Amino acid sequence: MTAARRGNLVTLALLAPSLLSAILLLVIPILIVIAFSFAEQDTYGGAKFGFTLTSYRELFQSIYLPIFVNSLQLAAVSTLVCLLVGYPIAYFIALRAGRYAGILLALLLIPFWIDFIVRMSAWMVLLGRNGTINSALLGLGFIEQPIRMIGTYPAVLVGMLYAFLPTTVLPIHAALNGLDRRLLEAADDLGATPLQSFWRVTFPLSLPGVMAAILFVFVPAMGVYAIPVLLGGGKSIILGNLIVQLFLDFRNIPLGAAVSVVLLAISSVIIVCYMRVLRSVEEARA
Amino acid sequence: MRKVLSLYVPVAALVGYIFLFAPLLVLVIYAFNAGRSTVIWEGFSLAWFAEAFRDRGLRAGLQVSVIVAFASAALATAVGTSAALAVVKRPFAGKNLFSTLVIAPLVLPEIVLAVGLLVATVWTGIPLGYGTLIAGHVLVSIPFSFLIVRAAASGLDPRLDEAAADLGANGRQVFLRVTLPLLAPAILSAFLLCAVISFDNFVVSTFVSGVGSTPLPIQIYAMLKTGLTPKINALGAMLIAVNVLVILIVMGRYLKTVRKPS
Repeated sequence: MTAARRGNLVTLALLAPSLLSAILLLVIPILIVIAFSFAEQDTYGGAKFGFTLTSYRELFQSIYLPIFVNSLQLAAVSTLVCLLVGYPIAYFIALRAGRYAGILLALLLIPFWIDFIVRMSAWMVLLGRNGTINSALLGLGFIEQPIRMIGTYPAVLVGMLYAFLPTTVLPIHAALNGLDRRLLEAADDLGATPLQSFWRVTFPLSLPGVMAAILFVFVPAMGVYAIPVLLGGGKSIILGNLIVQLFLDFRNIPLGAAVSVVLLAISSVIIVCYMRVLRSVEEARA
Repeated sequence: MRKVLSLYVPVAALVGYIFLFAPLLVLVIYAFNAGRSTVIWEGFSLAWFAEAFRDRGLRAGLQVSVIVAFASAALATAVGTSAALAVVKRPFAGKNLFSTLVIAPLVLPEIVLAVGLLVATVWTGIPLGYGTLIAGHVLVSIPFSFLIVRAAASGLDPRLDEAAADLGANGRQVFLRVTLPLLAPAILSAFLLCAVISFDNFVVSTFVSGVGSTPLPIQIYAMLKTGLTPKINALGAMLIAVNVLVILIVMGRYLKTVRKPS
């Protein structure tokens, strides 16, 4: 065996496990989902392969449209809230924290790695009818009746912010941390106020990080389902709940597959747009 | 005005950190509370921890989660490491496409991955259970092990390989005596993080766990839907402790490597 052929074999052996798992666990399953979305439901909760647009037609009926609107709205509002809260944190760590930056960044990662369900149960402790916040307010005499917080839209937003805040801060921090400080000094020397140098220098240069944050929050936010159930009382149905219900409760595989395909399509469009915009930003800078 | 502006950023950051840690702190403190209240302190007690350990569903869930976490982390680390080594050390066509494919599960909505796995089991007739859980967790963990090991491998000095080869080591010896020992800490980090990812996984588990293989987060979720009990706080406090420990192990190593150059 020649050395070159041997090298190729080694490369192939290194690539094989990940290629195999990507094909078996990702590519083929998604192709099956797409195939099932065109299948027909049989009476036993199974699906018959065929080509029908029944599921998609059903999906674009009036009962399902609000679910899409709700999900996109929740994802958009959550992303906006995460950016408004996360940007100052990223800015502080990157440009003001000095030698504490490493520790602050590390602290940020702790909630990110803590069990998702435990994090949500912590908020249920705080927001519940007899929870910490209500009891404290009652005890201090600020309110006379407990405020209903679980089951409201703000509670869902708090849960979303809690779930996605670290994901928002990390890419923005990375962009701000790579910023050439001399640009800010130059802006200062040229007489820019701090606000001007922020809007004209810092913010534009942090945009790639902001876009990555949007991608990492908006796309998963469209598919969440535990947060609205636990903190929102499960009242407003969004895509995540709909998919879980269709598969696990109603056993309507074709319709569930169709919803998943639409979610996948929306996500893919967003991911492709992100990559395009990022490339054009990088080209403009080069 | 200037003063207000310069205060805004640190105050916002402080509020952000309070927001991140206050709920966890409240949860942990009240796990030790003798009473059911989450406000009034009725004395220190470990009763809720004992209660959590007595719960049969939670014990069974813990067992499933631990087995699946170790198995899936071992597989995901092996797969991610080999992919990372291929990308860093070997020339081949379509490298970018390959990396995109490996990282894809990180970017796509997790629920779509979960639906794909469930539908694949329906289509092939594979029963839901440990096998499907492990496969699902491997899928969502591979991007993390790949990214961690790739970052470490691309930071290695290629001259070390050359030096070993000049001294007469063959390819296998270079790998076993030089590359692998240098990457060992990163591989260990990847393993620990993959185990945490699997242990915490919720979305994929919802779809691909079967009867008798319900992992801990799904058990907790079912209990939360019927109402919060101090038992869950106690369990949550224990999980937080384990997660923080793993993070500190991984990050301690990482922070050391960051500090070295200065």
